[in-house]
Amino acid sequence: MKRARGTALVATALCVASLCVIIISIASGPRLLNPFTMDRETCRTLLAIRLPRTAAALLMGGALGASGAILQGIFRNPLADPYILGISSGASLAASFGLMFGLSLFALSVPLLAFLGAIATGVAVVILGRGWKGLQPDRLLLAGVGVGFFLSALLMLVMTISVDDGLRRAILWMSGDLSLVDWGLLPVGFLFILAGLGLAVARRKGLNALTLGDDIAYSLGFNPARERLALFIAASLMTAASVALGGVVGFIGLVVPHVVRRHVGSDAAVVLPLSVVAGGTLLCVADAVGRTVAAPLELPAGVIAALIGSPYFIFLLGRRRIC
Amino acid sequence: MPEDAAMTTLEFANVSFSYNPHGFMEQLSFAVAGGELVGLMGPNGAGKSTILKLAAGLLSPQQGEVLVGKRAIRSYGGNERAQLVAYLPQTLDTQVPFRVAELVGMGAYPRSGEAALTVGEALHLTGLGGKATAFLTELSGGEQRRAYIAMTLVQGARVLLLDEPLASLDIRYQFDLYRLLKDIARDKGVSVCLSLHDIGMGALLDRLLLLKRGRVVAEGDPGSVLTDEMVRDAFDLDDAADSYTAAHRAVGLALERQPR
Repeated sequence: MKRARGTALVATALCVASLCVIIISIASGPRLLNPFTMDRETCRTLLAIRLPRTAAALLMGGALGASGAILQGIFRNPLADPYILGISSGASLAASFGLMFGLSLFALSVPLLAFLGAIATGVAVVILGRGWKGLQPDRLLLAGVGVGFFLSALLMLVMTISVDDGLRRAILWMSGDLSLVDWGLLPVGFLFILAGLGLAVARRKGLNALTLGDDIAYSLGFNPARERLALFIAASLMTAASVALGGVVGFIGLVVPHVVRRHVGSDAAVVLPLSVVAGGTLLCVADAVGRTVAAPLELPAGVIAALIGSPYFIFLLGRRRIC
Repeated sequence: MPEDAAMTTLEFANVSFSYNPHGFMEQLSFAVAGGELVGLMGPNGAGKSTILKLAAGLLSPQQGEVLVGKRAIRSYGGNERAQLVAYLPQTLDTQVPFRVAELVGMGAYPRSGEAALTVGEALHLTGLGGKATAFLTELSGGEQRRAYIAMTLVQGARVLLLDEPLASLDIRYQFDLYRLLKDIARDKGVSVCLSLHDIGMGALLDRLLLLKRGRVVAEGDPGSVLTDEMVRDAFDLDDAADSYTAAHRAVGLALERQPR
């Protein structure tokens, strides 16, 4: 079929682009490395700094892209993104406590706190969003927005009254800072993201069916509330792991799924994996650019991603076809 | 195939249901046999949509049983139920970002083995043969409705429950859809139960249930249900409406006599 070939073409192009980006990302930085001529120091920089950072950017971007695709589907709302449910606020609040009160006894404790904060927020949103018919999209969405605002307000309050040195780091971290990434975090983050993605891909049919509305999803044999809960858990796991790896990076979760859909249609079986690749690639590019153009100053990857991505997204919007 | 015929029978046995403590539907009993095209008519709030939701298993009766294939509909597992019963609500989301073939293909989700009908066959039956790669948003209202019905054909549902499928369709699409449902019922032995307001279309169906405030006030062939008196009574009209009723009946019957 012509259409299947088009999708395969887009997927191949994206994967090739992704590989190029990975190589460029490993090579670029304050000092340009040639990954093909290895001396001892190149090797050290490569292994200790560039590789984990590139891997983290790929993981985070991929997780955010897939979470956005899931949440836009289960809420039937094109504006849903991984942070709309307050998950990022919960993570930021918990992590900021850690940074400000110097809880960094273990290398892992700030990311771990962020992860726990994110998961706790997700659980709270589900409990508050549970109506008499189970998880309904509007109720869950509003519960998430409410919890998010409350936690953001708490965060602002804590930061206003704190004169701690950790404040600057907390702000930096919240705007998406990949410079703190090291190897220690990556395996755990990878596992959670893989688990979330696996759960979502296993429920791809449910995700498609929920897009048609709960009654039709039910008529197709699904239990809409159960599907929505499973997919929400998948998105929360990925978002929490992503925030724990490198803080809050906006734009990708909201826009990448829309860009992917415009190229390959809306079947979740295709949109989910391609949102992972596209999101990972975009964040990788943004991070490489961010740490190179104004070195030694680092520009936040989320800002660069939005600067690169928004014009393309607006260009796509201008072409035919309603989303 | 008597066994198959049993699976296509929808039966309400003394069903009572209410959204609030004041009572609504009491002791409702009726059945729709395989191959039958049954219409639910009556004023707004009479219980047409409630009956369809009960039949789909979306609502649970407080008393009595809703049976499909001699078993309570809510006792089936999800996939098993979906192969027996398909329900389309009154408002379908026509802004979903799928292509027609993708939407229709979702009908195969509850089926583990072979689809009841391939997507191509379902599109052909619903007259959407050339629209497989079009986006749902690009179709007309009638075509969108038919795309969803094509999905239920792939699903292989033996009982088709349609909530006001004719609303918002022009007279030509209404009649197209009527003929499509008639063909599905006759050729595949599917039971079709639909709610509708159009007296002309109601006159064409095999059987009608006229409802008022959760009760069946008349049941039988359209000629005996859609009398001036019954319609006046069900909709609280005076005899000035008789000519309206008569005209609509005549339109429906005239349409049916038209050659294909």
